[in-house]
Amino acid sequence: MQLGIEHVVPIPLKDKINEYNSWIWNQDIVINPGEKVFIQAPSGTGKTTLIHLLYGLRDDYEGKIHWSAYNMTTIRPEQLSQLRASYLSIIFQDMRLFPELTAWENLEVKRRLTNTITEHEAEKWMERLGIGHKRDSLARTLSYGEQQRVAIIRALLQPFEWLLMDEPFSHLDHANIKKAVALIKEVTETNNAGLILADLEDNDFFNYTRKLLL
Amino acid sequence: MSQITQKKLLRKLLLQQKSNNRLWISLLALCVGTTLLLLSVMVWWNFKEILSGKGSNDSLGSTFLTIGKAVTNESMAKKGATFFTAKEIEALKGAPEVQDVGMLTSNRFPVWATLNTNIAFATEMFLEAAPDKFIDKQPVNWSWEPGDAQVPIILSSDFLNLYNYGFALSQGLPQLSPQTIQLLAFNLKVGRDPYTETYNAHIVGFSDRINSVLVPQSFIDYGNTRFAGGQVIAPSRLILKVKDPSDAAFVRFLEERDYTTNSEQLKWSKLRSVVDAITSATGLLAMLIMGIGTLVFILFIELTIAKAQQSLSLLLQLGYSPGYLSRFMFRRFLPLVALTQGIAAGLAVYAQYIAAEKVKEMNLALPAIPGWPIWTALLLSTVILLAFVSSGIYRAMHQQK
Repeated sequence: MQLGIEHVVPIPLKDKINEYNSWIWNQDIVINPGEKVFIQAPSGTGKTTLIHLLYGLRDDYEGKIHWSAYNMTTIRPEQLSQLRASYLSIIFQDMRLFPELTAWENLEVKRRLTNTITEHEAEKWMERLGIGHKRDSLARTLSYGEQQRVAIIRALLQPFEWLLMDEPFSHLDHANIKKAVALIKEVTETNNAGLILADLEDNDFFNYTRKLLL
Repeated sequence: MSQITQKKLLRKLLLQQKSNNRLWISLLALCVGTTLLLLSVMVWWNFKEILSGKGSNDSLGSTFLTIGKAVTNESMAKKGATFFTAKEIEALKGAPEVQDVGMLTSNRFPVWATLNTNIAFATEMFLEAAPDKFIDKQPVNWSWEPGDAQVPIILSSDFLNLYNYGFALSQGLPQLSPQTIQLLAFNLKVGRDPYTETYNAHIVGFSDRINSVLVPQSFIDYGNTRFAGGQVIAPSRLILKVKDPSDAAFVRFLEERDYTTNSEQLKWSKLRSVVDAITSATGLLAMLIMGIGTLVFILFIELTIAKAQQSLSLLLQLGYSPGYLSRFMFRRFLPLVALTQGIAAGLAVYAQYIAAEKVKEMNLALPAIPGWPIWTALLLSTVILLAFVSSGIYRAMHQQK
């Protein structure tokens, strides 16, 4: 799937964007399948807004975003859910787990939607990221770091061509980041997928094919 | 390790309603509304069945009426004023509710009946003939051909009653059962002297429908040709087959033209209008209650969805489709709708059974199982209800981002 961003300007950021030269806002960008893109975004430049626009969560913008044939401004709800279930996966900055479900149930909600990953594999991934013992704890009782690792695993439990990540390791220490990066690399390769990671500071977690400044 | 199914997870996320009082109240209202609706349809349908039904209900509402023109002081002076013209008969055929019109042909020759027993009894009398299809209980030997010595007669049951309870008692004559009367043979002398013929007559049946002394049409036709020159005379009485004699338009039709009929047969029209008023009032009330029930039920659904709003939008963000989630919600509420409609249908069936038992005591017959109008009403109300429920779910679901 090819991502096209054509002169996109989020309406709330319109005045601010005109004051500086963004590499993305109001530009014409094509990102090819399988690319690994890092977007460096200082606070307040609309990092989360961009990720949400790409994922189809908001439509308060000018310009055009399209994933191959899917135009995000005209996409129908059923198509959007199809896109999210099979082509686009996401790790939210604010994790977005169901607080009333256990860590395992949170994973099951996603896993059972497509059944691409076995139960056994999912359990193994929990062990790898060091949250195996938190399997049956309610999500609301988990620490931010634990929640973030659940959110990371959840994003990998579906087939995808693109993985969107919004500050995915903000609550993790170096050792845990390394484990998470390794897992994400592995699964992304299996899927032949591309990734888009947005963060505040520069990093080299993945072999980025390009780095953009928001 | 316990299996967690997707449905179980969704139920946990979307249907976490603690207080279900609103649900039960709305379901109760739905149930009462549907039951009332079915009952009002049932009252209307049962009444219709009694009126226009076949068989044993016949003498009650009677789908057959004999009509004549009212004899007034003005018409008394005019000869033939009470005859029906061909145009009037045509008009009657096209009248509301009228399905068939038959002419009653009367004798235009003298008839003298004598009883050849030890009871001396002789009387002059009249005869009439009606088309066979209008005769309610047609006896097997109901036929006559020129040359036959036997003439069968069907007597109005009212005449038998008049004789037994009026005439016989006052005259000291024996009361006669229908069976006895059928055994009696008497002589019919027809025609004017010296051209007379004598026949053996016997009563073969009684009619609730036609107030007359009936002989086969062929006998009247023969007599009229032979003794009265055969000139056609317009009928003064007609027999009508009427779909619903209590129909207001039909009653008005008769009144406007000053046609008379057995008023007993029309008393149902008054009762009918009362029943109509009651059923439409009940029906309106039923719809009102059902409407309120539906409204509360849909509000309950919307409330459930509103309470689950966060989970719902997160599920949509994870790739669950709105259609799938709508169907999940619909399937959760479908059994509740089925339950209320089922209970209402059960009550209707029970009520019909009770009604059928009750009217049996009054010598009327009603089907023991509700008929198609009740099932149609049930089906219609269920479809409308489900349409409201699914559109309610759809609306609530598509308000989510």
